Amino acid sequence: MANLCMLPEMKKSVSDSKVFVVGAGGIGCELLKNLVLSGFRNIKVIDLDTIDVSNLNRQFLFQKRHVGFSKATVAKESVLCLCPTANITAIHDSIFNPEYNMQYFKQFDLVMNALDNRSARNHVNRMCLAANVPLIESGSAGYLGQVTAIKRGVTECYECRPAPRQKSFPGCTIRNTPSEPIHCIVWAKYLFNQLFGEEDADQDVSPDTADPEANESGDNSKVKHQHAQVDAERKSTREWAKENEYNPSKIFNKLFAHDIRYLLSMDKLWTKRKPPTPVDWSEVESNSQTSVSEKDIQSVLSLEENAMLFSESIQNLKQKLENEDEDGILVWDKDDTPALNFAASAANIRAHIFGIETKSIFDVKSMAGNIIPAIATTNAIVAGLIVMQALCILNKQFDKCKSVFVRKCVNPAKKLLVPCCLDPPKPDCYVCAEKPEITIAVNIETFTVAELKDQFLKKHLGMLAPDVEILDGKGTILISSDEEDSGSFDFDRPLADFNIINGSRLRADDFLQNYDIIINLTHETKFENEEIFKVLEQTGVAQQQKSADVSATQDNTTVNNTNNDDDDDICILEENVASPEKKRKLQQSPNHDDHNSKAKRRKVSESQNDSSVLIID
Amino acid sequence: MAEKEKKYDRQLRLWGDHGQRDLENASVCLINVTATGTETLKNLILPGIGSFTIVDGGRISGQDAGNNFFLDPEKIGEYKSKVAMELLQELNPDVKGEYVEEDVSQLLERTPQFFTGFSVVISGSLTLTVLKKLAALLWPHKVPLVVCLSYGFLGYIRIAVEEHAVIESHPDNAHEDLRLDDPIEDFVKFCDSIDLESLDKKDHSHTPYLIILFKYLQTWKNDHNGQVPNTWKEKKQFKAAILAGVRKNAEGVPEDEENYDEAAKHVNTAFVPNKIPPELKAILDDHKCLNITDSSSNFWILANGLRQFVQNEGCGFLPLRGSLPDMTSDSERYVKLQNIYQAKAAHDMQIVSNYVSQACSSLGCGNGRVSERDLKRFCRNAHFLRVLRTRSLEEEYKQPSKAVIDEFTSDSNSDALWYVLWRAVEMFYTTHGKYPGIEDEELEMDVSRMKSFVKDLMKSWGIPGAIEAVSDDSLQEICRCGAAEIHSVAAYMGGVAAQECIKLITGQYVPVSGAYIYNGLKSTSLTLAV
Ligand SMILES: [Zn+2]
Repeated sequence: MANLCMLPEMKKSVSDSKVFVVGAGGIGCELLKNLVLSGFRNIKVIDLDTIDVSNLNRQFLFQKRHVGFSKATVAKESVLCLCPTANITAIHDSIFNPEYNMQYFKQFDLVMNALDNRSARNHVNRMCLAANVPLIESGSAGYLGQVTAIKRGVTECYECRPAPRQKSFPGCTIRNTPSEPIHCIVWAKYLFNQLFGEEDADQDVSPDTADPEANESGDNSKVKHQHAQVDAERKSTREWAKENEYNPSKIFNKLFAHDIRYLLSMDKLWTKRKPPTPVDWSEVESNSQTSVSEKDIQSVLSLEENAMLFSESIQNLKQKLENEDEDGILVWDKDDTPALNFAASAANIRAHIFGIETKSIFDVKSMAGNIIPAIATTNAIVAGLIVMQALCILNKQFDKCKSVFVRKCVNPAKKLLVPCCLDPPKPDCYVCAEKPEITIAVNIETFTVAELKDQFLKKHLGMLAPDVEILDGKGTILISSDEEDSGSFDFDRPLADFNIINGSRLRADDFLQNYDIIINLTHETKFENEEIFKVLEQTGVAQQQKSADVSATQDNTTVNNTNNDDDDDICILEENVASPEKKRKLQQSPNHDDHNSKAKRRKVSESQNDSSVLIID
Repeated sequence: MAEKEKKYDRQLRLWGDHGQRDLENASVCLINVTATGTETLKNLILPGIGSFTIVDGGRISGQDAGNNFFLDPEKIGEYKSKVAMELLQELNPDVKGEYVEEDVSQLLERTPQFFTGFSVVISGSLTLTVLKKLAALLWPHKVPLVVCLSYGFLGYIRIAVEEHAVIESHPDNAHEDLRLDDPIEDFVKFCDSIDLESLDKKDHSHTPYLIILFKYLQTWKNDHNGQVPNTWKEKKQFKAAILAGVRKNAEGVPEDEENYDEAAKHVNTAFVPNKIPPELKAILDDHKCLNITDSSSNFWILANGLRQFVQNEGCGFLPLRGSLPDMTSDSERYVKLQNIYQAKAAHDMQIVSNYVSQACSSLGCGNGRVSERDLKRFCRNAHFLRVLRTRSLEEEYKQPSKAVIDEFTSDSNSDALWYVLWRAVEMFYTTHGKYPGIEDEELEMDVSRMKSFVKDLMKSWGIPGAIEAVSDDSLQEICRCGAAEIHSVAAYMGGVAAQECIKLITGQYVPVSGAYIYNGLKSTSLTLAV
């Protein structure tokens, strides 16, 4: 075994290589330093973020004076200070920008992800598959870390394993019958958006009169009527607050006295539960002049202190909102003190009302922000491992690449690192398989085009700007990513309105990701909880690397139906609770219609920095 | 919110305020400016240790600067200790940096007490004489020594500390302390007050699983001579019995009762007998626990109180932890359960507290010595206390541990091989005053020299035949790297070593006991009690 670093030809392949680092955060900073000191000379680094104070405990290329500046730019400058010979390009931009298309990715010998959210990871995964460039994926969470190499047709791609399920709460628990601190915290975050942020109809905070529990034997027509009324009221929450000039005591009374009394009137809810106790502003108003925001964030505040903090933070946020443009909004950010104080105090007052344990601001922050702990040491370990893998790849020793897990403490086998062989691509991966198909059940009568686009194609399949064609032999376009065209569609109409029936097939295509998939629709009326679609099955043909070293079993058109229940236990994070859906036999054979890719102008949604996503799966 | 709290927000979640305080009170010394050493310091300065001091008498050469991010290439000829200190200090203005531009061997000679005041001393590779001298100096002063280095693709860390106590070991999957085998009196009363049969649909499906488990357990015990379900088969039967208790609707179809599912799911873990784990038993029986003096550390005074609790009021059990897992329940009954558990935990803790105060006053060391917070933390973590004792370097170099011999002779693929080779490299350096493979033309000769050092070592360990396990390839490999530091290995080792230092400083999480070996060729690692 030759030592990787010592061979002169190795040195050359490293210094000649062009690499792309996606993300200049915790791992990205370490990685840039490692790359430069390992002899890499042509590096492009991209990051949309700017530097925050909470980055400074680990992102060592940044200092306090850099707060607010572009991460990519400052990282580049800091590295160049000490290694002036490197050729680094810093890009302060979103990786979702269509400028970074397949052609762009093709210029690199290697892409390295140093990201903190799943949607960007999914996207880079697809771009690297499309461009056939090897990718090193990495992540850290507290003391845990992971590094893995991905190569089209050789290894699993990032999306071969299903994403961990997100914990979500039924709307009526949040709005009517909270029983745990997290329910109140989620409610408080929604409230923030209702009052100051982007209003979202799914984030209503007012009593939900359609709660099935409240109307177990009720008269349905009446319920619907009430619901409509509340809806009308809801639309004006923001307006109402504005009209009242964000008067804290008025807001307080509406949320914690008026709305709670309304909930109490839905008496069926409280036959078996402890009913909430409304609180009026006059009961908690305190004359104390000392500010509560100076208090220890680790301590649990009293009701009066929370009320004061609530009032203080509303005034702060109102001020901030006034500094924005005409229709500017505030964005919830766990690191923004007034926003956090607002959410913490609102959540705690609500918890108090429902007899739920109250939390310190520190704990609320953890729960509200889904904060993943992060320290310098793990990032250093992970970045070191990335470069070791990078050297293997550039040395054309892909077979030596591993998926390496970093554990919190030594395992029974006395190892801190757990290296695992890379698995081959999963044949039914809906991303890297050739001719992928996915079968979903929806209620065709009610499932709208907008839901198909936003909930399924964008959220579930991770597409950016999907085009959808109905495979009806006529090439009917259902969704066009073209701005002009899309105006002509009524997105709120159900699929049934477009002659879509049980068994209809659609083709969804994302031009930028060079990714398309066939969707088989099954009509179904029963759904659990608040689900609106169910994935029944995924199939495809595993990608074969088109190089000579793979002994060819070509024209493999058999649809692989083997049960691929994930039975290896290399996942170190317990959060991964995803269980693949049970497979059913697929009737249709995948027939891949000829497809003319059309050059189009694409509108790309802004990068969703989804901090609620787990880093590692 | 304080600026500091914002900056350290993400790590406070790992070790808490008190861990951060320990870190901020710590002073760390780095001996010799290597890439691994400065990377380690970087990872300690970022999270905010109190201060650091770099000791190195050398000056910067071009080679150093190309490999070490904290040696400015424009400052060739200046003292490494000074330049590295200045660049490292820029990382965090809260941390104080100092440097000594003197060789460690001189400093050891002149002012040995200089080293004994640090919280941790980190050293790169030193000559064996100096290393042994340093280790012998630190050992009786209970200052942990962390040797950390990267040598080609090989990474090596050795921790030497006479005794290190860990209260918060943060175990991975700790069983909940539910005491179903020795139920709390008030819990039994509460369970007895609930009649599952007579509950309405809603209450039935919101009865906490703990209560369901307990009720079915009582029935089971009546039918099984007071035994809990033990074997896999019994547990299976027990699960089936629970699931049979799920209510059925008018058509005879079972309702969706999550609490019953939870009860069945927890059958495997809920009946783990509430025993004292062997590591803890060893602590409670340790002579330091039995014989406390006024110079005992708080840990041993607390352990002594814990021991008395276990022997007397605890009847062989530990104080109750007092926390409850999440479960499907109405809030009323969950809160009630929580109160029962918390009250019992507080009660147990008070007894430990009394023993501790008694001990303190009889030792004449004052009651305020152990804070309420420490006591609480100690009791809550009683199950997971750990005491780490490594062998000293003196012992290590006198004779190998059984663990090393076993690991090395039983598995020919073990990374223990690299420990053996590292020891041979040290012997090589001691004899030749240089590292093997430094000069290309002597590479082959150095390989055979190395082989004979390994032979000598094996002979002195009493396993001369083990030389067969040392392949020529591995000897070539270690010689070929010519003592160079590969930056990615150094960066990796800097992460691991800093993590170990943080564990030593905060007394949280369990440090590696002895040596840690990293093989960058295969991305494998091994811990070894050397
Ligand atoms: Zn895949």
